[in-house]
Amino acid sequence: MALSPSWYIVASIVLFAIGTYCLAVKRNMIKIVIGLEIVTSAMHLNFIAMGYAASAVAFNPLTQVIVIVSTCLGACVATVAVMYVINAYRHYGSLDVRKLRRLRW
Amino acid sequence: MYISIPIILQPLVILFVAAVLVPLMDYVGRKLGSEKLRDVFAVVALAFALYKLYALYIEVLKRGAVEFYLRSFAPPYGTAFRADALSAFMAMVFCLLGLFVAVYSIRYMEEDTGLDKYYALLLTLVAGMVGVTLAWDFLTLFIFWETMAISGYVLVGFRKYRWEPVEAGFKYLIMSTFGSVLMFYGVSFLYGLTGTLNFTSMSQQLLNVNQPLLYISLCMIVVGFGVTAAMVPLHTWLPDAHPAAPSGISAMLSGVVIKAGVYGIYRSLFTFFNPAFFNYGAILMIFGILTLTVANLMALLQRDIKRLFAYSSIVNIGYIITAAGIAAYVLTTYYSSNPTLATSVAVFALAGGLFHVFNHAIGKGLLFLCSGCFLHEVKTRDLNVLEGIGRRMPWTGASLSIGLLALAGVPPLNGFWSKLFIILAGLSIPQDGFMIVVTSILILNAIFAAAYYLWVMQRIMLREPKERAAAAHEAPFTMVLPIVVMAALCVIIGLFPGLILSLADVAARSLLLPVIGG
Repeated sequence: MALSPSWYIVASIVLFAIGTYCLAVKRNMIKIVIGLEIVTSAMHLNFIAMGYAASAVAFNPLTQVIVIVSTCLGACVATVAVMYVINAYRHYGSLDVRKLRRLRW
Repeated sequence: MYISIPIILQPLVILFVAAVLVPLMDYVGRKLGSEKLRDVFAVVALAFALYKLYALYIEVLKRGAVEFYLRSFAPPYGTAFRADALSAFMAMVFCLLGLFVAVYSIRYMEEDTGLDKYYALLLTLVAGMVGVTLAWDFLTLFIFWETMAISGYVLVGFRKYRWEPVEAGFKYLIMSTFGSVLMFYGVSFLYGLTGTLNFTSMSQQLLNVNQPLLYISLCMIVVGFGVTAAMVPLHTWLPDAHPAAPSGISAMLSGVVIKAGVYGIYRSLFTFFNPAFFNYGAILMIFGILTLTVANLMALLQRDIKRLFAYSSIVNIGYIITAAGIAAYVLTTYYSSNPTLATSVAVFALAGGLFHVFNHAIGKGLLFLCSGCFLHEVKTRDLNVLEGIGRRMPWTGASLSIGLLALAGVPPLNGFWSKLFIILAGLSIPQDGFMIVVTSILILNAIFAAAYYLWVMQRIMLREPKERAAAAHEAPFTMVLPIVVMAALCVIIGLFPGLILSLADVAARSLLLPVIGG
């Protein structure tokens, strides 16, 4: 039995909230990057759910394409993010973002 | 010709192919013993792309719009490109500044290593921005948006052996990626309502639909683009990232990358959310004024010259956002009672805003390149050390003064005209108290900003140089050349504002008229 699309939309909003919480609260740089990935996944899930809602079939080719392309872009972003994490670790010997406080307003 | 590339794709193809070929050129150049081959190659590629964009612009003016899509994936489903006057105008501004920066980087970056990557990324940055303006569906826009953003992230951290670019780049990456994900999340709701991502069919289906879900989507899209455009509560990455990047890239980021965010806001608001039905103009005006005021106050506290210019970029984004707000507000409030007046004021405000996009791109690019010259000679960005350096570097100093005066809005220069048009649009309906109050705050901010621009100019140009600044010499020729050309552009457009204003007017009409009709 298939769930109605609104369940997936609610799940996506919950996932988005978790990711935003992670970005706002976590102090570890790796965890912040993971938070970013969670937010991206929430966006992907919402696209799939919306495609389901719009066309009433679970397999909507356009949304699949969007999500696959967006995943590739997300991988590039994650790579660059991890590059920054590595360089920050080399400079500070720590992954704590509170150490990155030399820039003031 | 067996392979014919559509005219709209030609600039993109040139830029991307050149980006791929730059490392090869670097290799060939080193074998031949001429390191500068890749630099010259990048400059030539950008000049070619600019020429192709010019050809596209002529075609757009002739035909109204140029479209391209794959025959087997026709709209409303597949990828679509479309250039109207607004897209072509913005794309030309982006590519023009890219060309200046590439010329400037030939000498400025020569002490760095990995320059093949630098030029390749600069080309993909420009290509991404051009693609954002030419895209006609959200998937294409998102792909080019991320191309632009990823190039930007890497370029900010290009000198990754220093702490500052790493910190600033990480902050930029997290905030900007969150912004673009939020934007696309908002788009997913629009997709759910319409079942398409193509701009034309989406806007047709959203016409006269007024649902709460659309307001959520509107907020997400504006906030998402607003992160890149650095609207005020979302601006905190900009004053870190822009000074930390190499000066040429600072000029790109401050001059045009934030304008891509502005383009996103202009395009998505006026195409999908018809201001005659959606009441967002007042909020946009308030955010614009907030951006102006906060950034002006912060700019005054800065001792670092590039940080000061970065805050001044946020100020100018405030003007452009306020112009969009004025246009939307006028359409919301007065379209039903007096459509002719509302349309003409809205076109006037948007044309002023787009004219300011051009002026600020040239002016702020000029200022960042000048501060790069100072950095090249004296190795510092501290205003106290740089006092009086304009006397030792006459060409750079004179151009910096012109740039500062242009952004301050001193009459014969270009910044004066665009600010004047935004203010006139704001004052055009005298019985509307809200618009008068907002425009008054805008005028006060403009005067306030002029005061600190003049203060910077006085310190750089008029004081006696101290020991480090006194030892400075004029920067190399290829660094001074783009600066002088940009200063000359500021003066020429100031004397003949009609040159660009007519283009901005056509662009504003092409954005607005399909939506409201008439």
